Amino acid sequence: MTRALTFATALLLAAVVAMGVYLHILRRNERERAQNLPDTRPISAPVAGPASHVILYLAYDGPGTVRAQEATIALPADPAQRGREILHALLGEYVKRPSSHELPAGADVKDVFLVSGNTAVVDTTPAFAEGHRSGIFVETLTVASLVKTLTANLPGVTRVKILVDGKQRETLAGHADLECFYDVVTVEQLLQQLQ
Amino acid sequence: MPWSEPKHVLLFFELSFFASSSNRWLPPRNEKRRTAKRSVVSAVVVAVLLFVLPAIAPSAEEKQLSIYGPRVSYSLPVSEQNTQDYVALLEALEPFGKVSAASEGQKWKLRFDDLEAEFRQNAPLAKVAGRKFELPAPFVLESNRGLVPLRSLPAILGLMLRTKTEYHEAGRRLFLGGAATRFTTDVREAGLSVSFSAPVNPLISTEPGKLRMTFTRDPVVANTYILKAENPLVSSITFSENNGRAELVVQGSAPLLAKFAAGGKTIDIVPAPREEQSTPPSAPPAAAPPAAQAPVAVPALPTVQTLAAKPPFIVMLDAGHGGDDRGALLSETLEEKGVTLAFARRLRSELQSRGISAVMSRDADVTIPMEQRAAMADAARVAVFVSLHAASEGRGVRVYTAMINSATRKFGAFVSWDTAQAGYVLTSRALADIVKAELGKHEIANSELPAPLKPLNNVAAAAIAIEVSPSGADLGSVNAVVYQQRIAAAIAEAIVVGRSRVEAER
Repeated sequence: MTRALTFATALLLAAVVAMGVYLHILRRNERERAQNLPDTRPISAPVAGPASHVILYLAYDGPGTVRAQEATIALPADPAQRGREILHALLGEYVKRPSSHELPAGADVKDVFLVSGNTAVVDTTPAFAEGHRSGIFVETLTVASLVKTLTANLPGVTRVKILVDGKQRETLAGHADLECFYDVVTVEQLLQQLQ
Repeated sequence: MPWSEPKHVLLFFELSFFASSSNRWLPPRNEKRRTAKRSVVSAVVVAVLLFVLPAIAPSAEEKQLSIYGPRVSYSLPVSEQNTQDYVALLEALEPFGKVSAASEGQKWKLRFDDLEAEFRQNAPLAKVAGRKFELPAPFVLESNRGLVPLRSLPAILGLMLRTKTEYHEAGRRLFLGGAATRFTTDVREAGLSVSFSAPVNPLISTEPGKLRMTFTRDPVVANTYILKAENPLVSSITFSENNGRAELVVQGSAPLLAKFAAGGKTIDIVPAPREEQSTPPSAPPAAAPPAAQAPVAVPALPTVQTLAAKPPFIVMLDAGHGGDDRGALLSETLEEKGVTLAFARRLRSELQSRGISAVMSRDADVTIPMEQRAAMADAARVAVFVSLHAASEGRGVRVYTAMINSATRKFGAFVSWDTAQAGYVLTSRALADIVKAELGKHEIANSELPAPLKPLNNVAAAAIAIEVSPSGADLGSVNAVVYQQRIAAAIAEAIVVGRSRVEAER
């Protein structure tokens, strides 16, 4: 083998190795990008049930208030599943564009658990908190809207705890406390002051 | 359950009490265990002391410069760079008109009305209003803020504002356009009358044999610095300037009282009326409060008795976020953590100028966990906790209190961490009402409501939160000196007004 041929073969082999490494990096980057995208897939199968009238308490950033609005959605018989569907409808209003109170794409409720008779635990998606706008007022509106909508439609529920992706989180986006239980009376007082 | 059980906070004084009294409850045969337990408790106390006290210790008074114009008076913080005093030029010009600045590499260009100034980082040569200008020390560019040596500021402002300047270097007071309030004194048998050329609003305090008037916003100047008087009541009047303030101290032979007259243009200093002391006959003389030294315009200083029963009146200013937690992004370049820190410093200065002790949970860009902020306030037994935040949405100032049901305060050894605020929330709401009213007086748009803000629920003191939003469409206004100063003055005034209510509830 001539010296030139040896050199060319070595060069080609080096190019193959370099391309392999480059391909590996590309695949890894793409995988990471896909993982970081908000998960917008439906988190549960559509429920079956009769269409029912519910009241959603929608937050409005402009006037800085929360207003009641009727909606008709299919609701199952199980109270916890009803709670999830009602909050799914509420957050669906905020994910739409334009919205009175914008939340990031993928913000949704994963599950609602009813415990100790009067307590509801709401488990939200990571996007609900990760992409939420930061500010005392804007975070307060989100919490108040969510708690009021749930407690107004599930009689007997007076305390609400919000989790993010199954875990407790210190704050929603730097301000609103997510470690506490929200009491319907204090939320009601807040809503009265917002009127 | 994925979340934790409610925690309890043990306040420092309670911990000390527990440490000193716990051994009485153990049987004598447990000597070793008792000694070990005492050692552990002592170690915890020492650790708490070492950890908490340095963080809450009041910092030394910040250097400041006061600038007095014909229509506006304000103070600026003075920073030290290589042993030289510097001030931010853009902030110094801002109250006088539209000013903008931009940096291009090493250059920093400032535009004020139709005039321009150009500086170069770390260079003493500059161009101001079309003229070559030599600074006494190099220009400093820090986080896009242009800092000029303090000694050069009078000349720069003179050129940019096209006005006459007079700088009192020892007192760090700068007078523009002939702004000055002069005074004359008239010593009479019944007292002393000080007449000013314009209405003044000094902070007045008394101490044995002295009455002190401190002028921060008034451009008070004097021709004579010491005036001796041969009067049975007033022996001398001394005028001095220091750290952006002027002081007029009246030395007397009896307790003095100040009274405003002629719409704030005259202050009459008269003997204080003797207050009858109703000391119980059995009380030892040392326990009696000191002779009445009633100050004017500020609440009475605590007596020896009240100091023994209550901790001093301290306001903790909690500049939200910091370090890794930048808070909300208010604009492309403005982070909430920077705005809250600047505002906290201004509020501290306003409180101190009104005789209120203020400490900050952070005085630098550092990360402090939220629970630690409340723990610091509880351990220091502060009277008022003010959490400071900023937002790009909304207008003016929102005042918040904790979203918690009020409850009767329990004076036991333990305070529930999760509901520490419950016993204080009514006082917090009363204070928030006063803050709202003061903001209204200062014509600042405002609203008040409860919010689930962390860590208000964990504070065992009157606690409010302030969220500053822009004054108009310009998002940058949230960081403007004059705007922040107006808000800080209103809040400080509210705390002075609400102090008696807070003290009564402690």
